[in-house]
Order: sequence, then C-alpha cells, then structure tokens
Amino acid sequence: MLRMASSFPEEVLEHVFSFIHSDKDRNAISLVCKSWYEVERWCRRRIFVGNCYAVSPPMVIRRFPELRSVELKGKPHFADFNLVPDGWGGYVFPWIEAMANAYPWLEEIRLKRMVVTDETLELIAKSFKNFKVLVLSSCEGFSTDGLAAIAANCRNLKELDLRESEVDDPSGHWLSHFPDSFASLVSLNISCLGSEVSFSALERLVGRCPNLSTLRLNRAVPLDKLANILRRAPQLVELGTGAYSAELRPDVFSSLAGAFSGCKELRSLSGFWDAVPGYLPAIYPICSSVTSLNLSYATVQSPDLIKLVSQCQSLQRLWVLDYIEDVGLEALASFCKDLRELRVFPSDPFALEPNVSLTEQGLVSVSAGCPKLHSVLYFCRQMTNDALVTIAKNRPNMTRFRLCIIEPRTPDYITLQPLDDGFGAIVEHCKDLQRLSLSGLLTDHVFEYIGTHAKKLEMLSVAFAGDSDLGLHHVLSGCENLRKLEIRDCPFGDKALLVNAAKLETMRSLWMSSCSVSFGACKLLGQKMPRLNVEVIDERGPPDSRPESCPVEKLYIYRTIAGPRFDMPGFVWTMDEDSALRLS
Amino acid sequence: MELQLDLSLSTTHNPIDGSNLNNKGFDPHDQILGLKPWSHDGCLLDKKRSFEDAFGKFKDSPQALSLLLWSGHPNDEDDEKREKKRLSCRLSKMNEEVMEGDDLVVGWPPIKSWRKKVLRQQPSGGRIVNNRVAGGGGSDLINSKYVKVKMEGVAIARKIDLKLFHSYQTLTRSLITMFGKCQQLEKDNANYRLAYQDKDGDWLLAGDIPWQSFIESVHRLELLRNGG
Repeated sequence: MLRMASSFPEEVLEHVFSFIHSDKDRNAISLVCKSWYEVERWCRRRIFVGNCYAVSPPMVIRRFPELRSVELKGKPHFADFNLVPDGWGGYVFPWIEAMANAYPWLEEIRLKRMVVTDETLELIAKSFKNFKVLVLSSCEGFSTDGLAAIAANCRNLKELDLRESEVDDPSGHWLSHFPDSFASLVSLNISCLGSEVSFSALERLVGRCPNLSTLRLNRAVPLDKLANILRRAPQLVELGTGAYSAELRPDVFSSLAGAFSGCKELRSLSGFWDAVPGYLPAIYPICSSVTSLNLSYATVQSPDLIKLVSQCQSLQRLWVLDYIEDVGLEALASFCKDLRELRVFPSDPFALEPNVSLTEQGLVSVSAGCPKLHSVLYFCRQMTNDALVTIAKNRPNMTRFRLCIIEPRTPDYITLQPLDDGFGAIVEHCKDLQRLSLSGLLTDHVFEYIGTHAKKLEMLSVAFAGDSDLGLHHVLSGCENLRKLEIRDCPFGDKALLVNAAKLETMRSLWMSSCSVSFGACKLLGQKMPRLNVEVIDERGPPDSRPESCPVEKLYIYRTIAGPRFDMPGFVWTMDEDSALRLS
Repeated sequence: MELQLDLSLSTTHNPIDGSNLNNKGFDPHDQILGLKPWSHDGCLLDKKRSFEDAFGKFKDSPQALSLLLWSGHPNDEDDEKREKKRLSCRLSKMNEEVMEGDDLVVGWPPIKSWRKKVLRQQPSGGRIVNNRVAGGGGSDLINSKYVKVKMEGVAIARKIDLKLFHSYQTLTRSLITMFGKCQQLEKDNANYRLAYQDKDGDWLLAGDIPWQSFIESVHRLELLRNGG
C-alpha cells in the first residue's frame, strides 16, 4: 500500500486530493506520510482558523503557499452578549497585511467577530487581483468608506455580506462606487446598515447583475421601493426586505404582490422590519416554495403569523419572535412537516412579567409534529422536566439544542425541582447532540448526565448552574468531543480546571466569567501548559494587586502554536512562564 | 487538602471515574518527576506539533494530564471560605456592572447586542403595533428616547423611554411605581426628588426647565429620597 502510494506521481495525488473538500479529511490526508503532507499543503486552497490567535499568519503562509480562501474567527462567542470588554483584540489587519504579500490571488475572506478597519478594507481592495468574496459576520471597526474601496476596486466581486456587523455609515453613496461595468454580484447583504443607501445606485446595481441570487436590504429601504427592486431581479433566491410598513393602499399592495409572484425562485425571506400585517399577504403567492423564513424582526401577532406560516408548507427554517405563542407553534407543527430549525426570540426580554403566552408547550408541539426538527433555539419563561423528556423522546435526532429560560435559576414550575433530569434526557436520547445551552435551576447532576452521555457534544454554554467543581469535572472528563466551553456565573473553580488541564489542549477554547477560578490557578496553568494561552481579563486592575486566591473576573484559555499574543490591552494578562515570574 | 498550586503532575487513581482518563500510558515515575518529563518525552505528547493540533485534528490518544489530583470532595471548607471571599471581591463590582449594561445582569438573557439594538429601535421598544399606519421605518428612531434611571439605594438600574411621558409628574409617579415593584416604597411623590444629568454631564434637579428642553438634554436620571 505504502509503495503504491509513493509510486503515484504527485500530479495524480493532487488531482485526487482536489475532490476532498472537508477540512477534517484534508487534515487526515496530511498525516499519512511526508509526501502526502507535501502534496496536500501545496494544493490546499481553503483554510478555516477557528481562533485567530491559535496560529500566526507566517505559520499559515509557510505551510500553505497557495491559499485562495481564508476564514478566520476572532473574539470569544460571549462577545455577542457584551461580556468581552471593548478593545479586547481580534484585529484582522496583521493577517491581511501578511496575506497581501503572500497570496496575490486570494479570492475569499470570511471573518467572524473581528475588528476590521477601513485601512484593512482598502488593503484588501488593492492587494488581491481576483478578489470575489467578503463576508464580515459580527465584525466592527469599519465604515462605509472602507466598503466604497471594496466596491470601487474589486471588479470580480461576487459576494459582499455584512451580516450582523456594526458599520459606521456616514454615507449611503458607497454603493455608487461599483463601476458601471460591474455586473458579477451574486450575493449582497447590507441588512445591518443603519442609514439610507442611495436607491438609484441600488436599483442600477441590482438591474445590471444578472446572477444576483441573494439580496438582503436594510431597514432604511422603504416598502414602496421593494416592488421596483424585485422586478429588476426576478431571479432572486434569497430576499431580505427593508422596512415592511406603509400606509395600506390597494395599489401599493397589488404592485407588491405582483412583484413577488414574478419571483418564482424565492426560497428564503427575511427582514420584515416594522411589518404591517396587512401587507403580509403580498408574499402568499410564493409561500408554498419558501424554505426559510426569518420573521424575528417582525412585531406581528399570532393570528397573522399563523396565516402566514400555514401558507409555507415547505418551510425548513423559521426564526420568529415569541409573539407566535403556543397556539402559533401548534399550527406550525401541523402545517410544516419539513421543519428542521426553529428559533424563537423574546420580544421583551427585560420585562418582569410575560407579555405573551409562550410556554414549554409550544416547543413540545413542534417536537411532536415536525419529525425532521434537529436545531432549536428557544427563549421562554417556564419549563418542566416532563416537557424536556417529551422533547428528547420525540426528537432523538436533535443536534443543536439551546434553551434559554429568561429568569436565571428557574426550577420546573410544577414540581419546583431542578431541571437536571430534563436536560439529562436531552443528552441521553439525542446521541448526535453537538451544541447545547443550559438554563434554569441546575445542580451538578446535570453535568454528570452530560459527561456520561454527550459524547458528540462540541460546544456547551452554561450560566448560573452547578454547585461545585464536580460539575465542571464531569464535563471536562466526560465529553470527549468538546471543543468550546463557555461558562458564566457558576461556582466552578481551581480544582476542576487543574485536574483536567490537559483536556484544555484538546479544545479550541474555554471561557469562564464570574466563576471561582483563582489567579493562582491561572498562573499555574499558564506556567505548566505552554501550548495554552491563559488570559485573565480583569477591569479592576492588575490581578497581582489582589490575593492569589481571589477569583479572576474573566478567564479565556485557548490552545495555540503561536505563543502569547502581542496585542493585549491593559486589562488582559497572559499567564506564561515569564509573566508568572514577573508578577510574583 | 489538595489545593496546593505547586502540586505537580499526578496520575493517581481517580476515585470519581473508575475508568480513569487520567493515567493511560503513564509510568508511575512520572508522578515524582513532575511536569518536566512530558515536555521531553515523546511518548506522552507527540513532540511534532503540527498545524492540525491547533485546528482540531487530534490523534486518538491525547493523554489527559492533570495539574492536580481529584480528591472527590470538590467543595470542602476551604472552598466555602473562598466563596465568601469571592463574594466580597465582587460586591464592589455589582453596582458598576449594572450601571454599565442595559440589562439587569450584564449579558443575560443571552441576546446579541445587535438584536437588542434592533429591538430598542422598534417603535414602542419591540411591543406590538397592530396594522400601524406608518411612514418610513427609519424615522421611528426619533420617537423614542431611552435613558438610564437609578433609584437611590436600589442596586439595579433600568432604562426607560422618555417619549412615553409628557410631564415631570407622570414620569416621577411611574418611576416610583416601577421601582416600588421590587422595593417597599412610599407612593407619595412628595417624598422623592428627581435628579438628572444633562448633556454636559452636570447633575441637576429636574423641574426647572420646560419639559421639552428637559427631554432634549437629559442623559441619565436618578430618583432620590427626600432627607435620604
């Protein structure tokens, strides 16, 4: 076998490898032997770096000289919820600077939770000759000026997707920087922009890009412009509307309904800001082929949502506000048999009392009625163990289960027991569970269930749970496939962490905030585990100004082959051997 | 107890977990040698660190190394003491954090800041508006003005939409009712004064300028008890 493999000419191997796209498989290939490693690294076109501090740009460039596509992630996931202080890091500039020299033919950059400056965007615009895809997901630090540079210079751009980025937008005229000859756009997502865009530039752009299949507008695009845009792009597959409100007028309605029924390819709809229910029937003509519906910005009540959902019998993904209520979810369960993903967001998360009738029952209905359901994010205010057990038994195919009971430490509201058994049933029955978020009243028992059963779990989020180190110990020692663990406000401390120190090297990252990990333990961990970056985030000042036993505010641990990072702000301390000496 | 941070590598049998993930492939001598050996000894952790190590491709047998022995008594007295200390360490932080975030607890419920921003921009703060007759969406932004309110002696701050109020009296009354839900408060307006921070950051007593000008300049509010 070995001889046969080595007798293949490199070109043949390279051709065979070109059919293998999964990162995991490519990694496996490169471990076979030295020659496969060499061939593989020269023909690798695409990499994914889950943590931009886990490796340095020169290391990547040295190993993979011919990349075309790079995907990088920056800040920890909890940054989404404001738990990572401003200025923490995640700057993409050093990466782009290094790649500008190394990869003149780079075509795709996808970034998540990174700081991207206008300077960075300008560098991208002028460095890569055949640049095609820019996806900025939950990024920040740039403005429409940077986007204008991309528009003006990237002649072959196919995809510009700003997802949920925070963009300073002094000018809506950046769209007019796309040259008149430019017609290659396939996907444009500007839904996060706060200010108005130039409609004439937008209409012209949409009109001259025959392959445009995804267009997600921002809230500033009024409903009366939508019909015009749709008529110019009847080939659209994914549409995000702008504000979906206007005075109800028959002529406006029929124009809109006409435009929608001309878009036979539409499969995904989002936007619907400020939706006026009277205009929702305009999309009914195309609803039967819609597979994805994001109504999570539409403040529309249950009866209107039910009418809409009942038209969408091919629906696979629904994001919606809790206005849908239990009765709406029951309707969903009976109409949408193909549903795979459901997210229900709270309309008024900070209210003390429930403002809608959405309980555990809605989720139970969907779990019973939709056999393909495997991904759930559900915000509610009450839950029972019985409901969770039922959901687990109904849907053993669940792979992502995130439940947020809004009030921390809420018990089963009928028995007043912790929800340990309920979540225990989820991990026990759903053998393929990859992602889990816990909430409600939970003791160490739930972590015992998780450690025992959740063998495929890759990401776990925990808040306000557990009673002791034992909880964390169960998870770290039991969950073999765990890659990301994020914990806040749990009484987990030094012992569980130190006992399982080596487990951390098999994971991408661990976040712990407001837990019981002492500064001394962080120091020890950093000293003894050179492949881990142990970063203490403390806005109260240097951690060594307090007793070693005092718990640190926030702790972020990740494995790295690049060593400590160089861009730490004043409130982050890294616990390597030197710093331990320095600080003690 | 075991919580000595200078403790070195331990491979002793783990009383919690019979299968003991922690001592596969270890030479008992390693125990005494501390941590040094594994960084030198190729049989414990592969010396060749490859790119994959950082990106999720792991060989099947990563040795689980401990920096500490698991005792089976996770929280003994020391931990309890530590817990108390922790609380006192955090006490001063509480007020700060609450004032910094919009939420009662920072980052909870776990809703993306982006989504929260959109919710806040909804007319009437995300509450339902039925068949509302509206013009352009963006203009609704001006129809609300959110400011943070603190009540003297109450740790938790709130955010309110000033555009829902039309006079000093209704505002003060509503604030007392709102904070009164958690605290036993006297319901008499006369027992409270309303202070506000203006554009320039100065704290002033509310009521001495017209309501409209007040709305335009107010940044923060605090409800004070008379004689408090």
